Amino acid sequence: MSETPLPVEAGGQQVRDTTALEALTGKLAILGGFLALAVAILVTTSVLFRWLFNAPIDGDFEFVKIATAIAIFAYLPYTQARRGNIIVDTFTSGFSDRMRAILDAFWDVVYALAAAFCAVALYTGTMEAMRSGETTMQRQLLIWPSIGVSALLCGILVLTAFLSARALFSASSKG
Amino acid sequence: MMAVLGFAAMLLLIALRAPIGLSMLLVGAVGYSQLSSGIAFFSYMKTNSYHQFANYTLSVIPLFILMGAIAEKAGIAGDLFRAAGRAFGNMRGGLAMAVIGACTAFGAICGSSVATTATFGRAALPELLKARYDGGLATGTIAVGGTLGILIPPSVILVVYAITTEQNIAKLFQAALIPGLMAALFYCIVIAIVVRRNPELAPIGEKVAYEKVPSPYWTRILSAIVAALAIYWFMQGRIDSVLLIGLIALGVSISFIDATILPAIAIAIVVVGGIYGGIFTPTEGAAVGAITMLAVALLGGKLSLKDVFEALRQTAETSGMIFIILLGAEVFGAFLSLSRLPTTAADLIGNSGLSPYVVIIGMMAFYILLGAVMDELAMILITLPVFFPVVQALDFGMSPDDVAIWFGILVLIVVGIGLTAPPIGLNVFVISAIAKGVPISATYRGVLPFIIADVIRLGLILVFPALSLWLVRVLS
Repeated sequence: MSETPLPVEAGGQQVRDTTALEALTGKLAILGGFLALAVAILVTTSVLFRWLFNAPIDGDFEFVKIATAIAIFAYLPYTQARRGNIIVDTFTSGFSDRMRAILDAFWDVVYALAAAFCAVALYTGTMEAMRSGETTMQRQLLIWPSIGVSALLCGILVLTAFLSARALFSASSKG
Repeated sequence: MMAVLGFAAMLLLIALRAPIGLSMLLVGAVGYSQLSSGIAFFSYMKTNSYHQFANYTLSVIPLFILMGAIAEKAGIAGDLFRAAGRAFGNMRGGLAMAVIGACTAFGAICGSSVATTATFGRAALPELLKARYDGGLATGTIAVGGTLGILIPPSVILVVYAITTEQNIAKLFQAALIPGLMAALFYCIVIAIVVRRNPELAPIGEKVAYEKVPSPYWTRILSAIVAALAIYWFMQGRIDSVLLIGLIALGVSISFIDATILPAIAIAIVVVGGIYGGIFTPTEGAAVGAITMLAVALLGGKLSLKDVFEALRQTAETSGMIFIILLGAEVFGAFLSLSRLPTTAADLIGNSGLSPYVVIIGMMAFYILLGAVMDELAMILITLPVFFPVVQALDFGMSPDDVAIWFGILVLIVVGIGLTAPPIGLNVFVISAIAKGVPISATYRGVLPFIIADVIRLGLILVFPALSLWLVRVLS
């Protein structure tokens, strides 16, 4: 919602980094978007079949859950690259631009570390789910692949947050 | 004690520009590890973030955002505004009322207030300024009109409330309808009063541009089909008399509705009506709505492939933003329940002898103050783990479920106020970014009379819970 545009004055490599980042994460976002569209089509079909033939798609909600989780993880890097995460800037509006950029870069690093923690935790979760062979209730779908994909996407989030921090840092050292 | 420290630490992080979701996540993680252990937290996180997102109920959020984004790209808002303009445009202040009317209809297909504000900022603001409307009145109207995006169901904020408090989304949507329509009515009354006192704010436009378009014959055929179906279903015993009357009224009104906006209105009615009637779950409603909207817009040639991609990207950014906050709130909430603060607070306030109404008014005042400096979504996610158990423990002479629904609607109204009230009204920021020629102070001046109306509406629903609960009872 609140959007702080990336400082363009950064110039050179950094701008290319961030635009390349936005392009890459943008592609992921589109993929996630298609997943959401696929969910919508599946659910609509299920509703239609239930209404017309009294025969909904069995266990459609399990696909919905899996696809939603993966889509959300695919969205997160894009939200970060676009600096779409909500911050409150009431109390720091008096700070200099440079100070604010440094603070934002610092929080990007912290965000990257938090995402790294989540990615490692998810990776462990994937391994455990693989060993136990845990499946969903109705369709008996193995759940480790989807947790694994989430872990991978979480890893991309780590990278995105680090790169956006780097862009901000070098922007602030030049500005 | 831990929890109080946690709250303080979190507010400090937020004040230092840490993203809100991250602040909650960090404080929740530290608190959880302290009260339990680091290893316990790690194993909690092993699948928690996945399962938090792999949630059937939550899947409604990206789908509703997608539906709104497609509607926005398809230019539905402009169609709605022109149709409403044809209906009210020749009255004094009529174009401003047309914004409110169009926002009300758009609110039934879009669940986000920021999206509604931005959409109407682009679709309606130039027209208002062209008609020589006062800048502050125009931007103020669109900023409050934008709140109808959440006040009229579907509503992302209500979905979040429902999930956090484990309430039924459909019932909350039902309860929001009358207060939402009241909001639209009150806003129109405010516009009428403002332009009556100060007629030069809103000159009466040229009539030519807003002439009625004759409704084509197929709308009359359609209305006959709807009415015939309604009677057929009634005779088969598939629907009751309330629904019969509703459907016939719908059929009759179709022949009066502007043909350009008929698809949008139909989708809104199918989605919201289907959820109300329990014909489908909110997720199903959102999915059906998004797909129908996409199909109608593509078939009508109103959407290019580029627009579709843009809508998908927009869905990604907004959903990503919301879900990080939801994840942070989940971890923070887990920490809070370990700390037992919510139950302690509920006991403390329950035994304090304070009147329940004093407590709830205090909470609303607190929300309005906090909402003035904070993001509304984060505000309710941070406070609900403590406030909700407290409210549930109070005796209002209603069942706990009724209190939960009623409280949800009250929270929704204060969120709407927070979105427009100074110094931090997100909708005001959004419209200011679009309206380059109107200073933000003028927008805040324009918003003020509407906020007074909102506070009156809040008071009415506080005193008469039936305004929100009546429809839930009728429909269940």
